[in-house]
Amino acid sequence: MLDVQDLAAGYQGNDVVHDISFHVDEGEAVMIIGSNGAGKTTLFRAMCGLSQLSAGVVMFDGDEVTGEPAQRLVRRGLGFVPAERHLFPRMTVQDNLSLGAYPKRPDPETSSVVFDLFPRLSERRNQHAGTLSGGEQQMLAVGRALMSRPRLLVLDEPTTGLAPKLAHEAYEALAVLRRQGLTLLVAEQQVPLAMAFTDRGYVLENGVISLEGTSKELAADPRVRSAYLGVT
Amino acid sequence: MTATAIVLDGIVLGLRFGLLAAGLTLVYGLGGVLNLAYGQMAVISAMVTLFSIDAGVPILAAVAIGLLAGGLLGLIFDLTILRPIYRRQGEARVLLSLLLTLGVAFIVDGFLTWRYPFEGLRLQIGGGPIDVLGVPMPRGSIVGAIVILVIFGLLLAFLRATSLGRAVRSVIEDEEGARLVGVDPSLMLRIILVLSGVLAAIVAMTQSMLRPVNVTAGFEITVLALIVTVVGGLGSVTGAFLAGLILGVISTVATSQIGTFLSLIILLVAAAITILIRPSGLLGVKE
Repeated sequence: MLDVQDLAAGYQGNDVVHDISFHVDEGEAVMIIGSNGAGKTTLFRAMCGLSQLSAGVVMFDGDEVTGEPAQRLVRRGLGFVPAERHLFPRMTVQDNLSLGAYPKRPDPETSSVVFDLFPRLSERRNQHAGTLSGGEQQMLAVGRALMSRPRLLVLDEPTTGLAPKLAHEAYEALAVLRRQGLTLLVAEQQVPLAMAFTDRGYVLENGVISLEGTSKELAADPRVRSAYLGVT
Repeated sequence: MTATAIVLDGIVLGLRFGLLAAGLTLVYGLGGVLNLAYGQMAVISAMVTLFSIDAGVPILAAVAIGLLAGGLLGLIFDLTILRPIYRRQGEARVLLSLLLTLGVAFIVDGFLTWRYPFEGLRLQIGGGPIDVLGVPMPRGSIVGAIVILVIFGLLLAFLRATSLGRAVRSVIEDEEGARLVGVDPSLMLRIILVLSGVLAAIVAMTQSMLRPVNVTAGFEITVLALIVTVVGGLGSVTGAFLAGLILGVISTVATSQIGTFLSLIILLVAAAITILIRPSGLLGVKE
């Protein structure tokens, strides 16, 4: 479904990530793990059309989409939830969700899927997004992305700033979406959570992919265990 | 003049201020572009209407042509001088927009005063004054105020209740967020520039119902729009409306108590005080 070849990206001519190649197949849940500053956000922003990439090819559903802006990718079915969420703070939860379906009208079926998944959003639908708690904002960011009915949902550190219990709940919600057939790609620092949830993973270190494998293999790898799972 | 009459005049003036600022503030909120040729857009629209009337076009049709001209000017702006501006980000964008639009304003002003130094648009609204709260108000005031209220209502309905309007607001709120839901910010900016051109034209038309809009009126219109925008808060249409009303009343009170020559200075002082107390304006979007 998503195929990235030799991608390089960075800021002002300095590449932060190089030679990144990975793929996500339909129905899979894939993680990209790495510490803070490894380049996960740079990679995702370039891949999802929010910033420029300096080299490489991105294929989505068999079409080349390299360098296509985010507003076009979302219409192809690639939804992105960035770590900073980028909600519309002075608009209501309902308006944020309706915009998620732009340019179509929000489809009632998708709305009810979102509200079933996050009942809190339904309770707060007339509240401004800026007044929500961190956990609720994360729910809204995911909910908004779901309103466009994506086939691939890309999430950058969905647990940023969330208490452990909320982080768990966030992954439970993602697991529900997965069972409903959504393909998922997650970048995560909280490696144990992501590991339990995904099929495969890549380890991003200093801007390059240093390891890849099934999540089980990675969980057993001594380097991963010492660097990301706190096991020595 | 009685106190009621002064306040009523202030409200009529304030409505015009508010609509003027709405056009400017939306463009700034969306694109980070301050259009200093905004008043010239209003003046050109007025001149197009004037020349249409002179050419024998019926008045209402001539007004419609003027509004179209305003919209077209907005579109031309977007397609030409704003192109290099869009390529800059942040502060560089604001500065370049100030310089380039100011340049356009000077050229337009110079051309108009050279070619048509004595022209002015005056739309006569027939009939005697209308009594409001015991004050006989000129019919032009009342018609202008009603037109502006209707336009404000339509503008707010567009921004709040339509999907395109919400898309416009989403860009003001968070440009990256807007892109993530599939909104193309440059398309929204183009639509809003056309809209701001039409709003500038409407302000010129309503003003001409009371006194002539002369070819040299551009800079005064721009300065007033800037003051109201700053007080109302950049990017907020309701802020513009509110600030317009407040400053309109301040202006007529100042004019009647002190004199016309000081009213612009008093408005500037009001703006300066607002910035000191609330740096983002009455209802501005915080940076």
